[in-house]
Amino acid sequence: MTDWNQMSDAEFRKEVRRFFETEYPAELRNLSHRPKFAEIEHWHKKLHAKGWVAPAWPAEYGGMGLNAAKLLIFYEEQQRWGIVRGRDMGVQMVGPLIIKYGTQAQKDYWLPRILSCETIWCQGYSEPGAGSDLANLRTRAALEGDEFVINGQKIWTTMAHDSTHIFMLVRTDPNAPKKQQGISFLLARMDQPGITVRTIKTLAGEEEFCEVFLDNARTPRENLVGEMNKGWTMAKALLSFERIFIGSPNLAQNALIQLEGFARGRGAFEDPVFRDRFAQAALDVEDHAALYTRFADQLKRGETLGSDVSMLKIWVTETFQRITELMVEAAGPDGGTLGPLQVGNVGMDVLSSFYKARPTTIYGGANEIQRNILAKAVLELPD
Amino acid sequence: MTSTDMTSQNQDELRLFRESVRTLFDRAGGVGRARKLRGAPQGWDAGLMRELAEAGAFGAAIPEKQGGLGMGLVAAGVVAEEAGRVLAPEPIVAMAGLTIGLLYRLCPAHAALSAALEGNSVLAPAWQERGPRGVAQTRACRYTDGKLDGRKAWVVGSRGASGYLVVAQGGAGPVLALVQKGAANLSIEERPQADGSVMAELAFNGTPAERLAEGAAVETALSEAVSDATALAAAELVGLSERAFEITLDYIKTREQFDKPIGAFQVLQHRAVDQRIMQEVAAAGIREALARMDQTNDPRQRARQASRAKARACVAARKITREAIQLHGAVGYTDEFDIGLYLNRALVLTAWLGDDVYHRRLWLEAREREEAA
Ligand SMILES: Cc1cc2nc3c(=O)[nH]c(=O)nc-3n(C[C@H](O)[C@H](O)[C@H](O)COP(=O)(O)OP(=O)(O)OC[C@H]3O[C@@H](n4cnc5c(N)ncnc54)[C@H](O)[C@@H]3O)c2cc1C
Repeated sequence: MTDWNQMSDAEFRKEVRRFFETEYPAELRNLSHRPKFAEIEHWHKKLHAKGWVAPAWPAEYGGMGLNAAKLLIFYEEQQRWGIVRGRDMGVQMVGPLIIKYGTQAQKDYWLPRILSCETIWCQGYSEPGAGSDLANLRTRAALEGDEFVINGQKIWTTMAHDSTHIFMLVRTDPNAPKKQQGISFLLARMDQPGITVRTIKTLAGEEEFCEVFLDNARTPRENLVGEMNKGWTMAKALLSFERIFIGSPNLAQNALIQLEGFARGRGAFEDPVFRDRFAQAALDVEDHAALYTRFADQLKRGETLGSDVSMLKIWVTETFQRITELMVEAAGPDGGTLGPLQVGNVGMDVLSSFYKARPTTIYGGANEIQRNILAKAVLELPD
Repeated sequence: MTSTDMTSQNQDELRLFRESVRTLFDRAGGVGRARKLRGAPQGWDAGLMRELAEAGAFGAAIPEKQGGLGMGLVAAGVVAEEAGRVLAPEPIVAMAGLTIGLLYRLCPAHAALSAALEGNSVLAPAWQERGPRGVAQTRACRYTDGKLDGRKAWVVGSRGASGYLVVAQGGAGPVLALVQKGAANLSIEERPQADGSVMAELAFNGTPAERLAEGAAVETALSEAVSDATALAAAELVGLSERAFEITLDYIKTREQFDKPIGAFQVLQHRAVDQRIMQEVAAAGIREALARMDQTNDPRQRARQASRAKARACVAARKITREAIQLHGAVGYTDEFDIGLYLNRALVLTAWLGDDVYHRRLWLEAREREEAA
């Protein structure tokens, strides 16, 4: 097995780039929608054969075992070539959870199935009454013999309608003194009579997230991950990983490239006002990337990240939104038009970028919540 | 005179007018209609068009002797605001500002004017052309001997229209021409919009057309009508923003997280207050702009006020509808909640007739010209 970490950064980058450029299907480059698995299965098979599905997992579990520096290079190259994020909840969230808290049997069973995409995962955290206040979740799971019986409802579950499994937070001890206590982590298959999925259309007209109704849904006792009633701490650990991921410059960088192409085609760069706004956005992206590097270096040195990492997410999502708003502005009289707009020989879907940017300030911990965290944990402001 | 000097009698009249228009829209089904009529083949409710017409909605700003109410743009603005509140899919501003605005100025005796005022027929105005970088600065579409050749873009209200009111170039200056919907050699391409409506691109290829007017008067009437429509689109955005803000305010008063309504969090309170201030500033500015337009015949001053109105309305609607989504959280990003419809309609109304960047530029140019004169 290759030890990628032994390679020089430049060598590694070259190798990754070569693979993506030669193997990645052209029709999947820079997809504007969230694909169903069937659409990207052929690409996933290639990645799987190469052993590159899980760059961050340790090699012993079938990952690439990349250190932080190599991992960043991998993601950068992925972004650079416009490679789809794929159905990666399993790799990004369930795998790390099981690796850290799972039993040997859970590792042996689930990890290979996550890598092969025999299991495709959705994240069942949010509920109608538990959004920002996630600890308020009410979905109940009670042990009956060797099974948990689950009742309640999840919502905003991205791609639940195209998933085989769900990982969720459920309440296992309704009498715990604090609402953060008494929460557990469960895995369950979607294909069972107790689970009903209803897709919810987004304001962009896409079917991306869902409601998941749990009505005496069942899952074997061994699908509890970690200790009973200790799910909250584990979920927090996962979310903090999501926070650096979600604070990476990629989305804004890609949008900036799109904006530049579009605006040049439309002649917007002749307008001094537009030039200034573009330069502002470009510098917002560039300087954010510098801050991101600072945090990334911390990771590379093996340090854990503090709450201040929330800064990245706030800045990059709001920059991303501004960039897509500039795209709409550059579209002028076509700014309300759906679908690709012609610039030169290419079509660019301005509104789809605009829509994609809207919820980034809501999911992954709304920006207001991130600011609360910074105010308390970093600035140490009083209650 | 500013709006504050307006007689209280006028104010009362406007208030009553607003109430009657609001009642009409509410009885017809409010914002639910906008949802239902998205993508519908007709695109709007013909029955409601006639009811609105009966209430004088399309001719509010038209002199009485030409079949209107003679109440000025301020009254037309009231209709537009109310249409904005319920996201009415009817092409009310296109009709009142452009179609009727052109007809009453150029051919008041033509049957098309009374048909439009009565809500019996919609003629979709087609005056802009697509250039390589947005709206073309010159007019390539030609009128010769009863026929049109060329193209028109960004035509609002095409779906349910019975015809088009086209501004083309003729032998002796610009021509206003009427084209029937089913005319020969007319091809129509629909471009879907964020709010579920379409904008049409028309291609004429020896398409039969009736000449309604010709000469310099057409150009003058067109720029006046564009000013009116621009100011009225601003009023529509103001109504839209007002309602979007009300919905958001209700939501943050009722949605609970962390055991209290999210509106209890000070950061959201400040955001709501800022939105309200923006809304009040916009409403005041736009209503004053409309009143000033009623008080002058100088096309340049009128254009300057129209730009002022649209520039402000776009900024306010953008801020209010985008923050509305944020304050709603994930439900704001769904199609099921009405608030997203407001965002989508604001996108379309902002792009139509020029956005705020464009109108700030026009406004400043107009101001500099006035001061130089
Ligand atoms: C596109 C998309 C995909 C998603 N995918 C998933 C998924 O796969 N799985 C999953 O479990 N969830 C998912 N979510 C849900 C997401 O995690 C929640 O939307 C998020 O936690 C916010 O909760 P909420 O939507 O209920 O908003 P609310 O919590 O109701 O918040 C509404 C508004 O109030 C503000 N607010 C709330 N509390 C405070 C406070 N204390 N101080 C100041 N402001 C406050 C918020 O910032 C927001 O602006 C997704 C959401 C979106 C939009």
